[in-house]
This record gives sequence, structure tokens and C-alpha cells, in this order.
Amino acid sequence: MGGRANAVATIVAKDVRLFARDRFYLFISVLSLVFFGGLFWLLPASVETTASVGVHLPGVESLLEQGGRPPDALDDGFGQPGEHGLEVVSYGSSSQLERAVADGEEIVAGLDFRADFLERLTSGQPTTVRLLLAGDAPEALRPALAGAVRELASAIAGDEPPVVVPELDEMILGVDRSDAPLSMRDQLRPMLIFIVLLMEMFALASLVAVEIAQRTVTAVLVTPARISDLLAAKTLFGAVLAFGQALLIALVTGALGHAAGTVLLALALGAVLATGFGLLAGATGKDFIGIVFVSVVLFIPLMIPAFAVLFPGTPALWIRMLPSYGLVEVLLRVSGHGDGLAEVWQHLVALLAWCVAVFGAGTAVLHARLRRM
Amino acid sequence: MASALHAERLRFVYGDRVAVDGVSFAIAPGEVLGLLGPNGAGKSTTIKLLIGLLRPQAGSIEILGMAMPQQRTAIQSRIGVVFEEKNLYPTLSGRENLAFFARLFGLHDVDLDHLLERVGLATRGRDRVSDYSKGMRQRLTVARALLNRPDVLFLDEPTDGLDPVSARSIRTLIREEADRGVAVLLTTHDMYEADELSDRVAFIDEGRILALEAPEQLKLRHGQRAIRVRYREDHEVKEATVPLDEAAGDQLQALLGREYLLTIHTEEATLEDVFVELAGRRLE
Repeated sequence: MGGRANAVATIVAKDVRLFARDRFYLFISVLSLVFFGGLFWLLPASVETTASVGVHLPGVESLLEQGGRPPDALDDGFGQPGEHGLEVVSYGSSSQLERAVADGEEIVAGLDFRADFLERLTSGQPTTVRLLLAGDAPEALRPALAGAVRELASAIAGDEPPVVVPELDEMILGVDRSDAPLSMRDQLRPMLIFIVLLMEMFALASLVAVEIAQRTVTAVLVTPARISDLLAAKTLFGAVLAFGQALLIALVTGALGHAAGTVLLALALGAVLATGFGLLAGATGKDFIGIVFVSVVLFIPLMIPAFAVLFPGTPALWIRMLPSYGLVEVLLRVSGHGDGLAEVWQHLVALLAWCVAVFGAGTAVLHARLRRM
Repeated sequence: MASALHAERLRFVYGDRVAVDGVSFAIAPGEVLGLLGPNGAGKSTTIKLLIGLLRPQAGSIEILGMAMPQQRTAIQSRIGVVFEEKNLYPTLSGRENLAFFARLFGLHDVDLDHLLERVGLATRGRDRVSDYSKGMRQRLTVARALLNRPDVLFLDEPTDGLDPVSARSIRTLIREEADRGVAVLLTTHDMYEADELSDRVAFIDEGRILALEAPEQLKLRHGQRAIRVRYREDHEVKEATVPLDEAAGDQLQALLGREYLLTIHTEEATLEDVFVELAGRRLE
């Protein structure tokens, strides 16, 4: 092995040994894997797209006996059970319906029709319907139910709706995901992977800062090893550590089920990004508290894209400009929506550009710090 | 004899503070040169320039016939350094620390047991450095400096803060290495250590070398030799100091013949006295 390669390999081997013997590093690494891997599997795996609504509609049975078609009307109003929409559960009395809504387990809302609802409706008189909502009912349910009741009333009365609802031209800005909402697992997967990467960023930063604080680095630099050897070793160690951890959490969360090559590429770039930030934090932090402070300062903005994808719509421009956005977006779109390299390449390019910038800054700052020792 | 180390008009400035200002000296193989000065005098900066951690802003350095920093890697493979800080990896054992640095030197057949034995750590080699005392850590840093059987040793305050036993064992090692032909640059603010170990001493203050000679010569040149006599007179103990100059004989004769003598001691100048005379302030 050549002199430079020998020096790099020797420093990496030493760092692995130091890492393995440091209970704190091991603790946060194992904890992050177990905790976030476990959390992933505790999250809902599917999206609940049907809301169950209870209905108390006196006289519907007699209407059936008279040959009316209230079930169709109900279907018109509420849609077919099992489709995305409202599922109707019939209750025999107002009190039963109220209890069921308050209980909140079977239904999230209820429509309590007056006893003379059908009679007044068919005779053309105005009438009212009581809407009962559970505390955790979705906000959008209220207007949906109001519309459904109006449609139901029109159908039962045999009339067309009082106004012709205009056709809407729907314009989706960005990729249309309206028919493919993501489960909580899929939405949180990028965040979990990214947190694990950031944990390794912290571990690397701490390793670098301790080496500077204890001045062991000066002892290394009066051997034939050069600063560049030290930087190469730290980079190799940090990137492999971060990539390995990210790969494990990706395997645990099933992120490699689709377009694995693209996901692995994103993880590798993410590991380099975390390494760059780790070198930066390690070079600027003077001690453990300093490292924690710098890491938190970096941690918060880097986590914003992972939170932003939890909300519908395209994130704001400034969020899309953050270094971690490309990684989060690639992980979300590939492992969540099933996209491939063709759809996410521009995000990978942006991530690569950030990797070059952050890694370059990290090595430059650390190099300058080592030269000043 | 050709010098193992030759520094010529070295200069280094931190911001607006001149740390090293025109320092020149040479060390022959087997010679111990003590660099003596108070804290902040420029000792550590001079060492950092010589071992390649800092680049001199002026002047030249030649070590073992090679120019520093131009041939830094080649030079660093033949020097050993003991830092003032006990900069070891605390979670590695003493033996693992030595093995790591040996591999950085590209050495795979170093007898670590023998080295640990030389510094009195044979039975503690497999213990983690975090369990070592300050003296043990310092001895391990000396062992680390000897890994590559260096031709030039740089020792920055190697016995600072150590107990007398640890300090003596380190001084013995330094003398052994010098006897082997190693050129040693020793920085210290301990005048007794410098006096005991150094073949020559350089006084440094405010980045400049004030004097560079053998300790004995420095003391003779700059100190005052005298005889101190304690005697009893009228039931009182009195003391007289007689400078060893031309009139010393007559004064001593008078004391010896006249009074009841208690003690007579020769009194030599110390390196501390010499430094005070040269720099106008004390070493500490």
C-alpha cells in the first residue's frame, strides 16, 4: 500500500475503533436506527379516504314500502360505500345517533333528519337537518355533508337541484397527486432517513472536534501523514458511516422497493452532504457544547423540507432552495409515489450541486483550522 | 561536525505580535540544546516552525541536510516530537496509541513491548490511556516520539507538572537518546532541568535569543561566583558573602582567623540569575 493510502487507511481504522468505543456515538446511532425504524412501522400504512357518517332518517322504511327509491337517493347524496367519499350508517333514533357521534369510533359525523322531513320535503315545505360532528371530524366534512344533504333532498323530492352546478375546470399545478395520497409512513420516510443522516453528521462533527480539542491531530501531522490524508480519512469514514446508517434505515422502511439505484444514489449524495456539514460543524465547534450548538443551528433549516412534504401543495421557493430539499423530494417521489430517475433527475442534480458546495466548504474550513493549530 | 539541525534567522508573526524574531542556532548530533525562556517567549512557536506545523515567514531551516518545509515529509519520518500537551487518544490503550502512530510512519515491525518497557509502562500497555496518570501519559508520549528511532528529537516541556520520579525517568531517556547520537532540542522553563540535561543553553525572550552557550560558560560569564560564610559573633549568627575576585583571599583570611565559623559554601550563579541579568526579569 502506498504511503498516502496507508496513512488514510490507518486513520480510518483508528476512527472506526474510536467510534466503536464511544458509548455516546454508539448509543445515538443504534437508538436512531431502532427508534426511527420502529416508529415507521407504527405509523399508519394506508390512507383513510372514506368518512363514515351516521344518518337518522325517520320514515325511510315506509318510503321503501311505497316504492320510493331513497337508497338510490342516499347513494346519490353520499356515494357508494367503499368508494372514496362518505359511507352511510343508519341509526334508528336521534339519541342513538348522538351517542355514536360522541363515541366517535364508528362514525365521525351524523345527520339527524326531523321526523317530518320526508313529508315536508315532498310537500315542498322548508325543513331543517341537524348536523352532528365529532371533535376530530375533518374540517372539510361540514361543507361536504351540507352539499350531500341538498343533493339528497333534491333526489328524494324528484327535482333537479335548484341550480345547475357549473362544470369546473380543474388545474393542477405541479404533479397531480390528488388521486394518490400518501400514507403517513410514506410521508415520514424521508424525514426518518434524513434524521439518521444528521445523527451521523453530529457523530462525525464530534469526532473531528474532539481530535482538534485534544490536539491529537497535531501529533498526526508531525508524522508523514498530511492534512489532505486526514481530510480524506475523515471524509471516507463520515460518508461510509452515514451511508451505511441511511442504507439500514432505508432497508428497514422499505425505501428500496422501487428504483433502488436512484434511491441509493440519493442516499450516497445525502451521506456526502451530511459529511460536509459534519466537517463544517467539527471545524467550527470548540468543544462538545459548541458542536451541539452548531449542529442544532444546521439541523433546524435542514429539517424544514422534510416537514414541508407533510403538507399538501408545492413547498415555497426558499424551502426548495435548501440543501436537503433535493434528497427529501427524491426519497418522497421515488419510494412514495413510485417515480423513477427520469422524474427526479433534476432534484439529484440540485443535491449534487449542494454536496459539492457544502463538502467544499467543510473541507476548506477544516483545512484552515488545522493549519492554524 | 555537521549539524543535525540548523535554523537561520527564523521569523514568525501572529497578527501584530512578533513570536519569533531572527532566531538562529544549530544542534550537532548527540547534543542537547536547551531552549530556555518564560511562557510566551517564543519557545513553542520555534518548535512548531522546526517540526513543520508552521511555515516561517522569513529565514531557513535545515534538518538532517534537508530543507523544511520543502522536504517536510522526509524530515518528519526521521524526527520525534513530544508536545507540551499529552495529546493521546484516551479510549485507545497505550499499545494501540503506539501502534497507530507506528503505522502512520509506515512501520510494521516496531518492538512495542520493548518501547513500553523503556518508559516503564510494560505492565500497563494494554490499559486505556484514560486510566493513566499524568506521568504515565507523558512517558507514553516520549515512547511515541521514539517509535521511528528519530535522529532529531523535539521535546516541548517534557517534564512539566510531573512528579520527581516520572521527571527523572524522562530525563534519563533523553540522555540515553543523546548518547545514541540523537540531536535533542529541549524547551523548558525549568532552569535545573536545562542545566542538568543541556550541553548548551539558549535563552529566548520576546522571540529573540539573548545568549547561547554551555550552561557553565553562561554562569561564568554572566553570574557572580562567591563564598558565603556563616559565623558566630557576640552570641549572634552572622553571614558574609565574599565575591571570588582579586580581594577574596584577604577577606577570607580575615574571616577565618577572627571568628568562630559555622559553615562555608561556594555560591555559583544559576541559569535563573543569568536570565535575570540578560532579560531583566525572571523565568517564571
